[in-house]
Amino acid sequence: MMNLPTREQAGVLIVSVSGRIDHTTSEEFTKALDPLLDHCVQGNPSVLLDFSGVDYISSAGLRVLMMASRRSKAQKGVFAIAALQPMVQEVFAISRFNLIVPCYVSVETACKVLGS
Amino acid sequence: MKHPAGLLLAAIQAGRGRAFPLLLLIVGTLVLNGIDRTPLLNVRDALFDQYQRQMPRARTSEPVIVVGIDSQSLVKHGQWPWSRDLVAQLVNKIQTGKPLALGIDIVFAERDRYSPEVLSARMPGLSPEILATLPDPDRELARALSAHPTALAVVGLSKALPGSTQPARPLPEFNPGAGLDRHLPQYAGALASRPLIEKSAAGEGLINASPSQLQANNERGVLRRVPTIGSINQLPFLSLPLEMVRLALGGGAVVPESDDRGMTAIRIGDYRLPTQPNGEVLLHFGRANANYYLSAADVLAGVHPPEIFDDRFVIIGFNSTGLQDRIITPLGESLPGIDIHAQVIESLLSGDALQRPAWMSQLEIATLLLGGLLLIGTIPVLRPRYAVISFTTMSLLLIGGGYFAFFVGRWLFDGVSQILLLAPVFILLLGNTLVAADSRRREAESQLQRSREEAARVAGEIDAARRIQMGMLPNPATLFANERRFSVAALLEPAQAVGGDYYDCFMLDEQRLCLAIGDVSGKGVPASLFMAISKTLTGTLMRRQADLGLAVRELECELSRENAEYLFVTAFIAVLDVASGRMEYVCAGHDAPILQRAGQLSRIDTVTAGPPLCAIGDYPYVAAELQLQAGDRICLFTDGVSEASDGAGMFGVARLQSTIQKTAGADLQSATTALRDAVRGFEAGHPPADDLTLLLLQWRGQSA
Repeated sequence: MMNLPTREQAGVLIVSVSGRIDHTTSEEFTKALDPLLDHCVQGNPSVLLDFSGVDYISSAGLRVLMMASRRSKAQKGVFAIAALQPMVQEVFAISRFNLIVPCYVSVETACKVLGS
Repeated sequence: MKHPAGLLLAAIQAGRGRAFPLLLLIVGTLVLNGIDRTPLLNVRDALFDQYQRQMPRARTSEPVIVVGIDSQSLVKHGQWPWSRDLVAQLVNKIQTGKPLALGIDIVFAERDRYSPEVLSARMPGLSPEILATLPDPDRELARALSAHPTALAVVGLSKALPGSTQPARPLPEFNPGAGLDRHLPQYAGALASRPLIEKSAAGEGLINASPSQLQANNERGVLRRVPTIGSINQLPFLSLPLEMVRLALGGGAVVPESDDRGMTAIRIGDYRLPTQPNGEVLLHFGRANANYYLSAADVLAGVHPPEIFDDRFVIIGFNSTGLQDRIITPLGESLPGIDIHAQVIESLLSGDALQRPAWMSQLEIATLLLGGLLLIGTIPVLRPRYAVISFTTMSLLLIGGGYFAFFVGRWLFDGVSQILLLAPVFILLLGNTLVAADSRRREAESQLQRSREEAARVAGEIDAARRIQMGMLPNPATLFANERRFSVAALLEPAQAVGGDYYDCFMLDEQRLCLAIGDVSGKGVPASLFMAISKTLTGTLMRRQADLGLAVRELECELSRENAEYLFVTAFIAVLDVASGRMEYVCAGHDAPILQRAGQLSRIDTVTAGPPLCAIGDYPYVAAELQLQAGDRICLFTDGVSEASDGAGMFGVARLQSTIQKTAGADLQSATTALRDAVRGFEAGHPPADDLTLLLLQWRGQSA
């Protein structure tokens, strides 16, 4: 079971994700993320994934993010990602996933935008 | 209706295979509790005899001398009964040696045949003078007996027979108490010596065997128990050997020890023997020995010096084939009955008797139950080999414990009957374990067989799926075999049997070539199904819709319609006007293809690219344009190439570009193969990260 430590900062629920999110870990990532998304509804704190510890993300990992994004949109919650490493940033750029999930440069930047 | 064998098996296996063994254990406990009424008693007796055979009583001293009226004596002094003055002579000879006590294992119940009254009755002609000079043999014997402590034999009778009397010398000062009295043998009358002889003796002792218990043993002719005390008409009498010891001690006090079950031991002076509740001693036999047997004829003839009797117990009795009863001892020896008296005296003096107190039966029942419950608790969870080992160990402990108890304190502990009673419990438990293990093995075998068949079937199906999937992909080499304007080469290798990558290349019309490459998120069977739909829809919609941007929007719309698993597809779709070299393309979240132009590499501009198909569902894709120059090569690839891993790093676009540079001179098909080989070489045996697809296009130009 993937461990996802959380903390709250400026009214934002920050979830620290680390390691590789590929075909083999995507299932665990989905399960770990699921209870957090339960709370990602209108009026609740925004859910921000801190991706500073993520080395690699494959298309299976992107799919998990896409589903999380869809679900939070349906619940009228706010779901975003911050602090992408260059390689992950490149994957996001190629696949245009920044069009699907809002991406921020750093956790602080995200908190300024989402916490208000 | 079930088969009878099935019903029996179901009964045996009831309660997880424990109910039936538990029932057997209960039956076994009842059998052990009432062992006296079962054939198992023979096993127990044989075991107890075996203890004695292996550890007989050591006969270090010989405190008893038996003066036997043997065949030699009968030859010399005539038929039995001898005249009592001859017996009196024998008694006098012995008493010269001052024995501790003399016991006579003979009952002198009637008048002597040579007494004057009997003679005058038989021979009326004899004169009274002659008669008066004749000795009265009974008186002679009485006189001889009174000289020294002597014990006579009495035989207790269960009912009064003609000639039965009440013996005159009961045990003085003995009060067993009413509680104990009822446990001891009771006799209604006795066969005793004539009052004249009786009164001159110091004591009388019973020579009976036990009336009830012993009969069972007598059937086998093995004597194991000897009574110590009994009462004739409420008056207590010791057995003959014990009476002799009592007399030797100067008439010491006889004290019974008892509990609520009956007698536990008898004490004479300082000597003590443990007994059964009914006062019987379980005699610990020593090996037979002829050393202490003397012939009455030799004693009468004065062959032995009188000192031989000094400080010894002497017993006169029969030791002749014609007169005696012989008994079989647990040691398997045939001895004259009189030998028992000697062994009893030896046992009393050394305090050595077998012990089987009442609690021993309870201990045996407790160990049986404990052992049985232990078996029932453990055998079903143990592997058969350990089950056998544990039962063997338990058996050895029970047998060894019995020998140890006998060795330490002459305790009679019956472990063998317990093993015999536990054996059916164990066999049933083990049988159940084996039956269960056997059926588990069969079950496992058939499951293995099933899973093998299933695996073979799935493998077969996957193989078929792979063939179908690979068959969906066009072969550009045959498709464009005669094409001069451009050439196309392609290669697809799924990471697993089937994959989620696809490519396509076909002519929309005479002039326009459509190229497509796609990558469904994930890999394996789920991705392969979505790949098939994507590839088919791409082909269909591209042919139907002239505007590329609209076609891709329509494609996303169709794919998203039934997409419960939220799969998405990155794709790069291009339409090349093969005459002009003008290329329209849409990039949906796919890696930008590499353009090779005049030895220079660049990435195709994907600024207008949208997200992967189905990621949003209604993204307004727009087409971009690129003018190709003659000789341009375009390399389309999926992440199976760029993200191929050697365990430490990824192949990456930079390596891909340098490999493309190296293959610039080769034809398109060789270049494709070389690129694939470079990726596999880089992986160096590591499993492919994802499906690998390469699609290469070279446009020859307008002049071609």
